[in-house]
Amino acid sequence: MTLSTRRLSALAVALALPFAASAADYKVGPGSTLGFSGKFQGQQFDGSFGKFDAAISYDPANLATAKFDVSVDVATAKTGDGDRDKALPTADFFDASKFPKAHFVTTGFTKDAKGNVVANGTLTLHGVSKPVQLKVVFNPNAGGARLSVTGSLKRLDFGVGSGEYKDTGTIADDVLVNGSLNLLPN
Amino acid sequence: MPTRSEPTRWSTVAKTFHWLMALLILGNGAFALWMDGLKPSLNKINMFALHKSIGLTVLALFVLRLAWKMFDRRPPDEPAPRWQQFAAHLVHGCLYLLIVAIPLSGWAFNSAHGFPLQYFKQFNLPALVEKNEELSNTLGTVHVYLFWFLLLVLVAHIGGALKHHFIDRDDTLRRMLPFGRAKRNSPTSSGDTP
Repeated sequence: MTLSTRRLSALAVALALPFAASAADYKVGPGSTLGFSGKFQGQQFDGSFGKFDAAISYDPANLATAKFDVSVDVATAKTGDGDRDKALPTADFFDASKFPKAHFVTTGFTKDAKGNVVANGTLTLHGVSKPVQLKVVFNPNAGGARLSVTGSLKRLDFGVGSGEYKDTGTIADDVLVNGSLNLLPN
Repeated sequence: MPTRSEPTRWSTVAKTFHWLMALLILGNGAFALWMDGLKPSLNKINMFALHKSIGLTVLALFVLRLAWKMFDRRPPDEPAPRWQQFAAHLVHGCLYLLIVAIPLSGWAFNSAHGFPLQYFKQFNLPALVEKNEELSNTLGTVHVYLFWFLLLVLVAHIGGALKHHFIDRDDTLRRMLPFGRAKRNSPTSSGDTP
């Protein structure tokens, strides 16, 4: 190693230190999606939320300071079926007039056995708060970063589907959630 | 009970196909008219799923019935004017076409609407056509009108059977009845008719 490269390395570390100490803050840019997949009569259907917002603080090198805070307008769910889209915001499912927003906020980040980053958080949906885990894939890019998350939950844990709609023989209990966010520097 | 049809009576297999399918078709039709009036609910969705499963069963039974026909012989027509024999077979052919067309139109209607198709909650069947709202409306109408047409054809089918039974007093109906057999001695019968 020559003297000049050693100096450059030292400079790089010095420059990086302030960023490593606190996670970078991002907001959600265009080209972001937040969706879910359920199963109805044995067949998967995919839905997405038209309106949501998120404040993301994330630095892969310093997960202790990372934080996701996501809020979703549940009435904006679209699943490609008119009847279903009309039913989802009603009291039978999301009860959007009473609980217009779902809210996910992280409590901490861990790594699983395979080295995947897992965001542990609390999801408040339909007035019920329960822990939910999301697998995190974070890829920095020129303009910011692409954040992809996937997780699963049980709709009945949150009381989504009341009365006869609790029937998991017709509407599966398991729901997959997914997000692909185009993060822009805040 | 004969496995294969004899000149004096239809085989047990043929009778089973005939009466089981008659029951399922008419039962499912009446069931459909009832369920259509239900208020939107999960129960209604489940009732529709049941209707679809029964219809698919009719379609499957029809395929088995056709396969069976290739193996079985059929009793000869009772004596009647040629035009009546022709009419009877025409009506019968219409029934066969409708037995296929009604479930298939329902299946296509279901596909065009974008509904899943699950057989008695066991497994799913593929869509016949792409989701298309306009096509869905058309196929829904076709499905229902084909059923009304079936009822008209059945008037001729049942009317013919009753005419043979009560006016001609022949064995046309009797040899298809669940425990019925021909009353007349047929020269080709095995001699077990009373």
